[in-house]
Amino acid sequence: MEEDEEEARALLEGRPDGAGRAAPGVSGALPAICDPGRLAHRLLVLLLMCFLGFGSYFCYDNPAALQTQVKRDMQVNTTKFMLLYAWYSWPNVVLCFFGGFLIDRVFGIRWGTIIFSCFVCIGQVIFALGGIFNAFWLMEFGRFVFGIGGESLAVAQNTYAVSWFKGKELNLVFGLQLSMARIGSTVNMNLMGWLYSKVEASLGSAGHKTLGVTLMIGGITCILSLICALVLAYLDQRAEKILHKAQGKTGEVIKLTDVKDFSFPLWLIFIICVCYYVAVFPFIGLGKVFFTEKFGFSSQAASAINSIVYVISAPMSPIFGLLVDKTGKNIIWVLCAVVTTLAAHIMLAFTLWNPWIAMVLLGLSYSLLACALWPMVAFVVPEHQLGTAYGFMQSIQNLGLAIISIIAGMILDTRGYLFLEVFFIACVSLSLLSVVLLYVVNRARGGNLNHSARQREEIKLSHAE
Amino acid sequence: MCRHEGPRWGCGRCAPSSMLLLIQLLSAAPFGLLGEETRQVSLEVIPDCRDPSPNLLHIRAVGSNSTLHYVWSSMGPPAVLLVATNTPHSTLTVNWSRLLSPEPDGGLTVLPKNSIQFSSALVFTRLFEFDSANTSEASAKPPGKPYPPYSLAEFSWNNITDSLDLATLSATFRGRPIQDPAGAFANGSLAFRVQAFTRSSRPAQAPRLLHSADTCQLEVALFGAYPRGNRSLFGLEVATLGQAPDCPSVQEQRSIDDEYAPAVFKLDQLLWGSLPSGFMQWRPVAFAQRQRGRESSLPCQASPLRPTLAYLLPQSPIVRAFFGPQTDFCAFNLTFGAPTGPGYWDEYYLSWSMLLGVGTPPVDALSPLILGIMAVALGAPGLMLLAGGIFLLLWHKQCSQYQPIN
Repeated sequence: MEEDEEEARALLEGRPDGAGRAAPGVSGALPAICDPGRLAHRLLVLLLMCFLGFGSYFCYDNPAALQTQVKRDMQVNTTKFMLLYAWYSWPNVVLCFFGGFLIDRVFGIRWGTIIFSCFVCIGQVIFALGGIFNAFWLMEFGRFVFGIGGESLAVAQNTYAVSWFKGKELNLVFGLQLSMARIGSTVNMNLMGWLYSKVEASLGSAGHKTLGVTLMIGGITCILSLICALVLAYLDQRAEKILHKAQGKTGEVIKLTDVKDFSFPLWLIFIICVCYYVAVFPFIGLGKVFFTEKFGFSSQAASAINSIVYVISAPMSPIFGLLVDKTGKNIIWVLCAVVTTLAAHIMLAFTLWNPWIAMVLLGLSYSLLACALWPMVAFVVPEHQLGTAYGFMQSIQNLGLAIISIIAGMILDTRGYLFLEVFFIACVSLSLLSVVLLYVVNRARGGNLNHSARQREEIKLSHAE
Repeated sequence: MCRHEGPRWGCGRCAPSSMLLLIQLLSAAPFGLLGEETRQVSLEVIPDCRDPSPNLLHIRAVGSNSTLHYVWSSMGPPAVLLVATNTPHSTLTVNWSRLLSPEPDGGLTVLPKNSIQFSSALVFTRLFEFDSANTSEASAKPPGKPYPPYSLAEFSWNNITDSLDLATLSATFRGRPIQDPAGAFANGSLAFRVQAFTRSSRPAQAPRLLHSADTCQLEVALFGAYPRGNRSLFGLEVATLGQAPDCPSVQEQRSIDDEYAPAVFKLDQLLWGSLPSGFMQWRPVAFAQRQRGRESSLPCQASPLRPTLAYLLPQSPIVRAFFGPQTDFCAFNLTFGAPTGPGYWDEYYLSWSMLLGVGTPPVDALSPLILGIMAVALGAPGLMLLAGGIFLLLWHKQCSQYQPIN
């Protein structure tokens, strides 16, 4: 997921190659809110940046929020339903490598953002039209277009953040953007079902038209994001003139040939990442029906519990980030996160305990993992290969999500939720196996992955001397 | 796979006084005999030499020391008698002239009478139809405006001899209303497919209820009949004998295991008295397509049993013939589908299955595949942790051995 890279970057204290050169305040005549050199103006920009990503996060999980409705109105089974997620992931298997390149070399940050926002909007409109015309292939195509814009838009959003806030409030900004992303997902989970019932009431019956109209209304958030992209482009250009600052660049250098130089621990990190995330996102995509059928939750309550992972992640990501920063010992934190996730899935699979317990655990461990895992890449990769490593990690993560989404749908249709949960447990277990192996390899090689923060400080100092 | 066995009380591990042992044996007798792993099952259509039309199907399941008799008939409304005896030699006798008379008492008997351990009956009395078009609430009661119900006593049924399949131990009663002025059943019918089993197993088709040699499966399927509304829901009224003043209760069991019926975590059971006695077991799910995939699954809601008087229900001659003039009946309704979602209207097809049996109802166990995966999934990281720990310990030791040299 794109947000994980944000998390990684936030924790890496920004990348050294951003291009925000803040000129001294030029025009004292401007009111604070219009002066690009002043905090008030930056806050306005921050607000726009947050809403820039809101639309894509809101619409990404539209299928999960309307799982029963989509399957019923479009008369598709779960396997086909999960294709909606797979089609989102497919373009990003490739685009993760090129998003940064497109922004830097081809479009520039401003046009890049606008173009990706347009893709998101158009994708969502096609998705909704697929509902209105009762054409599931059109919905799939819409998700594909949406996917082209979605992940790259997140890269653009980060680039804007670096460009405007580097050396100022950058970590906070990353944190806030991440929280906004989570809020987008949460609002979606809890709002779309209600919206559907309202549309149903006004149209008089449920059906593919109701679904399409609901999704079209959901698409308004994408229009909002597009407007933000346009205003941001204007403000950025204006700031460039006033402050003589350069256009933001991702600074990503992707060299696919670097892949052959990746070390064994890095591959282990990739395995941990893929095996972990495929047990979280596809589960959330299929979770709503699980909570209504197994635990007897109402549709509203099921939406709420299905979004709890995102709700927890919004405030906990910065806190865990700080915790991992202060203590180091990344592998131990990853181990804790993976074991907790394993326990949460086992609870969901084999007990009838209140699922809030398991889902809260899942939310906590998911936040912790993101904070501890993504920064580890920076410890095992030389800096010039960092872009390639992160691009590769996201790419195989998207590949994993696309494939596992389809497999998860098939398992659910033929073998049910218990088997699906067991499958997820096996995935997390593979992830756990990799963590343990990583720990052993790291210890045996005397790697720095599991150093405490103090050890890292000492090493830094000794290098400085 | 879980094979269920009847309780085995009184297997004398210690030797209590002979009196106590006798009491134990007596108390164990009724159902210690049931719950056999395999049975010899025979299906027999009992003919009436004068009039071949009444359908009377006798399923006789003989175990090593017990016999189960299931008697299915479409005389009157479709009905089944369930009689469990503690001898492998019990027999069913039919007195046709009495059975076909207006007062059929004594027309059916299972001999020897004192071998009967349990008996009960189910009668499928009416097929309901509701118009759910204007009800948005899925759990609304009733689920919509009711149309006049079809009384199953006023159906004409095919001759089951034609559908008798001794290979699969099954037979199908297929019926349509005798009077059908609107032609609703012109191209359709209501079918009751009955199947018996010689051993414990699980069918390949959903809802894949685990059955044993002590059970008998019924599949009710409605197909091709024209519904009277655009979004018609159907329901079935089921009556059983009550033990005044109470009715047996429907229990809903929650389970963690939905491997055999994806996304169905419940199992409904009707028990005629304290375990083990007779039971009726079904998953609260019906299907709107022949493939019975998850996308065509419908919820199935059961109302609580309510006491009702015999004269309010269509009379079943076989129930009267075996039990005599009973007045206490209990009835409940099963409703298939919800106003939204898939429904009968998709393909004019609806099917629902249940098990009828004696003893302890079959219980699903986790499949070996799941247990295997779990063992590997949890065992592998555990072993890895252990191996890694040992490796690090040895490696550390080796390092520390060289340290003094420095």
